[in-house]
Order: sequence, then C-alpha cells, then structure tokens
Amino acid sequence: MFKLTEQTNEPLKRHIKKYWQLYVMMILPIIYFIVFKYIPMLGNVLAFRKYQPGMGPFGTRWVGFTYFKRIFKDSAFWRAFKNTLVLSLGNLIINFPIPIIFAVLLNEVKALKFKKFVQTISYMPRFISTVAVVAILGELLSPSTGMLNNFLTSIFGIEPIYFMNEPQYFRTIYILTDTWQFTGWTAIIYLAAITGISIDLFEAASIDGASRVQQIIHITIPSILPTVMVMLILNVGRLLSLGFEKVLLMYTPSNSVVSDIIDTLVYRTGLANQNYSYATAVGLFSGIIGVILVTSSNALSKKITGDGIY
Amino acid sequence: MRKFKTTSDIVLDIIIYIVMIFVLLVCLVPFIYMFSISISDPKAIINNQVSLFPIGINMEAYRQIFQYPNFFHAYRNTIFYTVVGTSIALVMTTLFAYPLSKSYLRGQKFAMKLVIISMFFSGGLIPNYLLISSLHLTGTVWAMLIPFAINQFNLIILVNFFKSLPEELEEAALIDGLDYFGILIKVIVPLSTPALATVGLYVAVFFWNDWFNGLIYLSTDQYPVMLFLRNIVNGTTMVGDAAGSADKSTIAISIKSAVIITSTLPIIILYPFLQKYFVKGLTVGSVKG
Repeated sequence: MFKLTEQTNEPLKRHIKKYWQLYVMMILPIIYFIVFKYIPMLGNVLAFRKYQPGMGPFGTRWVGFTYFKRIFKDSAFWRAFKNTLVLSLGNLIINFPIPIIFAVLLNEVKALKFKKFVQTISYMPRFISTVAVVAILGELLSPSTGMLNNFLTSIFGIEPIYFMNEPQYFRTIYILTDTWQFTGWTAIIYLAAITGISIDLFEAASIDGASRVQQIIHITIPSILPTVMVMLILNVGRLLSLGFEKVLLMYTPSNSVVSDIIDTLVYRTGLANQNYSYATAVGLFSGIIGVILVTSSNALSKKITGDGIY
Repeated sequence: MRKFKTTSDIVLDIIIYIVMIFVLLVCLVPFIYMFSISISDPKAIINNQVSLFPIGINMEAYRQIFQYPNFFHAYRNTIFYTVVGTSIALVMTTLFAYPLSKSYLRGQKFAMKLVIISMFFSGGLIPNYLLISSLHLTGTVWAMLIPFAINQFNLIILVNFFKSLPEELEEAALIDGLDYFGILIKVIVPLSTPALATVGLYVAVFFWNDWFNGLIYLSTDQYPVMLFLRNIVNGTTMVGDAAGSADKSTIAISIKSAVIITSTLPIIILYPFLQKYFVKGLTVGSVKG
C-alpha cells in the first residue's frame, strides 16, 4: 500500500503522472487568477503611462512620475486623503470596541433560547445590501416623513433636519450604520474566543466568591485579549479600505466636503471623467499605503502575540 | 458555590437585558417601519401618523411594483446572477481548493503564494475596468459573473476544511479504484456540506446585493434589482406616477419601501437556516491562511 503523504523525491515525471488530475483541476482557477487578479495588478503601470482610448489597458507611452506629481499638488486628493483617514479612524475607535462589549454581554445571557434569538437577529443587518441600507436610512431620516424627524419634532419641537444632506452628520451616520450592520457579525469571532475559555476558571472563581462582574473583568476579558489584539491589527491594516459603496451611495454634492474619500475620487476622476491614468495613480498610491499598513501591522502582531495573520 | 445572587449580579443582569432588548429593537425597527410604510394608508403617511406599526391596510404599493415591468425584469436578472454566479464560484473555488489542500503536491506552495499575494495587493478599480472592457465583457452578463468566480477568503475557508478531512478516506477510495476527480465528487464534496454552505451563502449574498458592477458594466435592461432600487432612491427612475388621487411623493415612499422589502426578503429568510454552518465557517476558516 502506498502512502499519500510521502514526501519522497520521486522524479517530477512520476509525480505528475501520479497526480495529473490534481493539476488538471488547477488549470482553470490558475488561468482565472492570472487574468482577473494578476493582469489588473500589472495594469497599475498605467499610473506611469499615458492612456489613449482604444489603445489597450496598459497605456501608450511612459511618462514617469508625472501623475504622481500632479496628485501631490491636487487639493482634491489631499481632501480625499484626509477624509479617508478621519472617517476610518473614527470608525475604528467607535466600531472596534462595540462588538467586544456586545459579545461579552451576550455571553452572560443565561436563557439560551433568548441568547440564540438575539444572535440570529443581530446578524441580519450584515446580509442587507448597502443599497437597501442607504435607502432605509433615507426614509428613516427623511425631513418630511422620516421617523427620526417626526420624533424630534413631536418631542423636542426641533425643526426637521435634512440629515443625509448636511455635511456635519455624514461621518456620524456612516459610522453608526456600520455599527448597525456589523456589530453582531464581528461579535461571532469574540464569542468563539469566549467559548474557548475553560469552564474550570469560572467555577473556581465562583467558589472563591467572585461576582460575575469580577469574573468578566478578571477572566473573560484577559482570556480574549489575544483575539482582540489580532483583530485590532487586522483593522489597522485595513484602515484605508472603507465601505466605498456606502460612501458612494451617501454622497451628495452638498456633503462632498467630508464624503469625498480616495475611492470615490478614483471613481469620479477615472470612470466619470475618464482620466484613467491619473485615477490609477491615486488608486495605486492608496494601495501601496495599504500594503505597508498590512505588512507592518502583521509584523507588529508577530512581535507582540508571537502569531501573525499570515 | 454561591447560592444567592449578589446585588452586582442583579445589576449586571438588568444591564444585559436592557442592552439585548435595545439591540433587538435597533435591528428590527427599521424593517418593521419599512414594512409598515409599504402597506399603510397613504393619508396616514402624509400626516405622519405611521410611527412604527401600519395604519390602515393598503396593498397598492405591492400591486404597483408587481405590475411594473422593470422591477420584474430586474428581479429576474438578480436571480439569474445569483444562481449562475454562485454555481460558477462554488465549482471554481472547489476545483482550486482541493489540490491546494494537498501539501505533498509539488507547486502547491507556489500556488498558495499566488493566492495570498493577490489578497494584499490588487489591481484597483481602473485596471479592472479596463481589463473587462478590453476582454469585451462590458455589456454582457459575464461581466457580473466571471470576475468574481473565486474570492480568496472563501478559497482559504475551503482549503482549511479539506485539510481537516481524514486522509484515510482518500486512501481507501484510491484503493477502491476511484481517481482524484471521482474522490472529489463522490467523497470530498458530500462531506463538505458545512463549508460549501458557508461559502455558498457568502457568494450568494454578494451576487444578490451587488449593484456597483451592474452600474459600470451593464446596460439598463440587464440591471439587477439592487441597482433598480438605487435608481429609485436617487431619482433616476421615477415611480408612483400612477398614484391616482393620493399624494404622489407619499406613494413613491410606499413603493420604495415595498421594493426594499421584496428585494431583501429572500436573503433574510435564507440566512437563519445556514447559521449553524457559517458561524463555524467564519471561526474555523477565516483569517488564518
């Protein structure tokens, strides 16, 4: 009988003859990866080349750093860059701790059926399309018939506010809808980490007379700290990738001061105004910052927790 | 063990239940409100009487959207994209994940690197757009389907799941005379329902909710329902013209709500059935490559 896992140095020819079917399976997926992942990656050279309509996706001639020089002088870019940073940092500060708190509290619910019910319902917003989320938002916040304005007017006598159009509410609305959509979902990871804690710890603490609040502070939270660290690092790595579709859907000319982020800038200059090379350069610039953030946060994770994400 | 609850335990319980009920309300109220607006009497909506529950029953909005040819068309398109897109994605992801789960296979490490690198650095919006147009996929339904055949996170979920299956099964199947395609179809796939259901759900939700790719690649009659909804919301598509005696804008709100409800309902009904799978899939498969 032969063993599948043998790591012999059998000749390549024999190896392929034995496993040729496994290689055949990979053919289509590998072609897919080359065409749809790696060619667009190479397509980023467009940031250094001039594009001419109808002349292929890689542009026509080298122009060096022309477009990058233009980016750094472009006030619209710096505004988008600042908006991206402010929005994602705000999002991180608010929406990083909330799922942890939710998971810890949900874990304390002793009625199992109720716990399961809350969990199921809390996942629901994650499955809703961004379009539907923004559409619902538009109705809830509508100045004429919206629920919130009705409430504010009838209780506090406040004049109806056009929330979706006022720049000062944009970030709050963006962040809170993210809270609404992803709290339950993100909490799954923390709940799994809490479930992994040995019950003996809680029982011992309970015998020693620790209250449940004390158990949360001294057992639950310290035990999930490694998970929290990994998630934090993951989130820092993703700092520049905001929910582009939601921002695009919430974008109005009057809130553009705060709602124009890097991705919407790429979309506007690239697809709407067809400045392909310039938009590619903007995209590439934020992509490179993204890679630096991910790799350095991963290195940091390895140093602190002894474990990276990849 | 302590028999009696201390004051701090009682306070904690009260806080927990308040928080949980708040979470339930926050998650449910928007849907209940949308539903109420979609079936309430237009007069009650104009007078801001609908606070949460429907007032007067009026199915006019639903009757209108079901008579609206574009809505039906868009809905059918979405079902098509979801069914075909999910099928392609499951086949392609499985085909790649199975050989990738064999660490003895030469080149497996290299192929895995190919996948991981593409997760961290990708062509942006413009290179992708130009690729699709130079492949002449723009304006065809394939632009909605093929570029999303494999998602790297889903691939890794499957690879990890296949790795966790006992190797003896495969050895036995080989001795019984099955080849690797046979093993994949007759042994591995039937054993992988949880992982395939998880990945299938993620992919189906992606295709069902996608609108942006429709916007940049497709023509109007190919639009998915979410793009139809988006065009109602931003006023590109006008609805509620045939409202008759009632206020136009109010009817438009009811119709918008009815579209939101009907286009969201299938996913909301589906996901609780797959919950036990995806909770496991997310915690076992994700993050770690």
